[in-house]
Amino acid sequence: MTWHVDAGDLRAYAQGELAPPMLWSADTHLMACAECRETLASVGDPVSLDAGWERLDAELDAPRPGLFERMLVRIGVADHTARLLTATPVLRRSWLGAVVAVLVMSVAAAHAARTAESPNLFLALAPLLPLAGVAVSYGPALDPTYEMAVVAPLHGFRLLMIRTVAVLAAGLGLNGLATLALPGYGLRALAWLLPALALTSTGLALSARLGPVLAPSLVGGAWVALLLAAHAHDAKATLVPFTAAGQGVAAAVAALAGGLLFLARDRFDRSRSARFQSDHFRGTAV
Amino acid sequence: MTPTVSASGLSLRYGGTRALDDVSLRLTQGVTGLLGPNGAGKTTLLRVLATAVPPDSGAFTVLGHDPGSSSGRQEVRRRLGYLPQTPGFHPDFTPFEFVDYVAILKELTDRAARHREARRVLEEVALGDVRGKRIKKLSGGMRQRVALAAALVGDPGFLVLDEPTVGLDPEQRMRFRELIARAGEGRTVLLSTHQTEDVAMLCHRVLVMAGGRIRFDGTPAELTARAAGRVWSSAERDAGAKAGWRTGMGTFRNVGDPPAGAELVEPTLEDGYLLTLDDAGAEVAA
Repeated sequence: MTWHVDAGDLRAYAQGELAPPMLWSADTHLMACAECRETLASVGDPVSLDAGWERLDAELDAPRPGLFERMLVRIGVADHTARLLTATPVLRRSWLGAVVAVLVMSVAAAHAARTAESPNLFLALAPLLPLAGVAVSYGPALDPTYEMAVVAPLHGFRLLMIRTVAVLAAGLGLNGLATLALPGYGLRALAWLLPALALTSTGLALSARLGPVLAPSLVGGAWVALLLAAHAHDAKATLVPFTAAGQGVAAAVAALAGGLLFLARDRFDRSRSARFQSDHFRGTAV
Repeated sequence: MTPTVSASGLSLRYGGTRALDDVSLRLTQGVTGLLGPNGAGKTTLLRVLATAVPPDSGAFTVLGHDPGSSSGRQEVRRRLGYLPQTPGFHPDFTPFEFVDYVAILKELTDRAARHREARRVLEEVALGDVRGKRIKKLSGGMRQRVALAAALVGDPGFLVLDEPTVGLDPEQRMRFRELIARAGEGRTVLLSTHQTEDVAMLCHRVLVMAGGRIRFDGTPAELTARAAGRVWSSAERDAGAKAGWRTGMGTFRNVGDPPAGAELVEPTLEDGYLLTLDDAGAEVAA
């Protein structure tokens, strides 16, 4: 061993006061370092020391958290929340790969039609990706543990919000990277952001009543219908949702839907049960 | 014995189907079997009692808590272990990771305590040796045990098991029965099953459901006694029997209303179950 755990940290470890990620680091080190285990035995009182050994014993079974989970903990996310975040069903390579493919294609289309005032196809698709991601991150469609999660005491709204943050961070991050590939359009290439927030928050607010499938489907459909109507009105100009006025409306919708979602937070726990019944099990439950 | 779960007048419709029709019951500590054909309403009843789906009408309490209110529902969920009919897993999780994840859903946020609990329940279902293996590489019986381990997290007072022995070979089924019997010590277990052997071997009480209603509520011996004097042996198939089949001895075993002078034989639990369903069918038709 080229390094050893600091005596103060060992004392904190023995008393159960060491927090992740330092705790994980100490766990891993103590498993391999006899010298530190000896020091640990000398710095703690017998009762807390027994608890420390027990914890170390249990840690031997625990898998090492993945890179993303460790990063989350390093930036201050509680380890149990980090675990919930990394277990979000859509944050898998297949989903992220599909999102990247859509973005690459829409960016390529924008480059091909460089004469256009705005990268309309990219701006139209980019807001739909986080909406779809959030829609499938909490519900029977893609979450294999949905039925267990529904009857767990962790509030459904909290789990939904945790997953929404995870999907939004990933989705908006990828969209942001794609935007960087369109430098010629300046800030106009960022006109997807407010519509993305508006669509996602509206989809979530409606899902409390309509369920995790119907609500985002309706919102996505309405967005596409709006864009088609705007395109039919004037195909050459910047589509209305991406103008300054459209951006203002999107910001207002996002704020309003966010407020409604907050008001519906308690109701959400009940209605998800109803959705569970109608979306997933109708005709198969009995 | 004091009831731990009491339900009265539970009704639920899925579209035009009356999945639960005025169901009332009282469960006590120990394993209660829930028998019934496909479409009887067993899974719906379990989902209602597990607070996954709210009933259209009726009320119930679990361990003194009423899930009709938000706080009551949380209290019930804190005392509930639920093994769904088709438990889903994150495919890349190990048993330890999966149980750890479920423990977070059950509000066990302290990492060390959670890991101790994960280890405890995995040892309890004899999966300690494979806790680090990917779930997708485990056999069907082992996966069912992983799901049972998840249900046992937090030492729930009410355990709901939906057909846990389906698809298991005889040896796996026997192992699973041992686990259920052990789980039933000191807690209330409601076990839905198609296997009358499960009920005969495990349950101190049995409910038979058909058409969304409870058709029988009593001990396995009482269910068997329903067929007393209604099972007979004959050299040829008896056209008047409600069910009859050739046995390995070459004679026919008939269930129904025996003709005069019939050679009566000892009934089994299955005979009692078949006749109860037959009586229920007649009642439904009427």
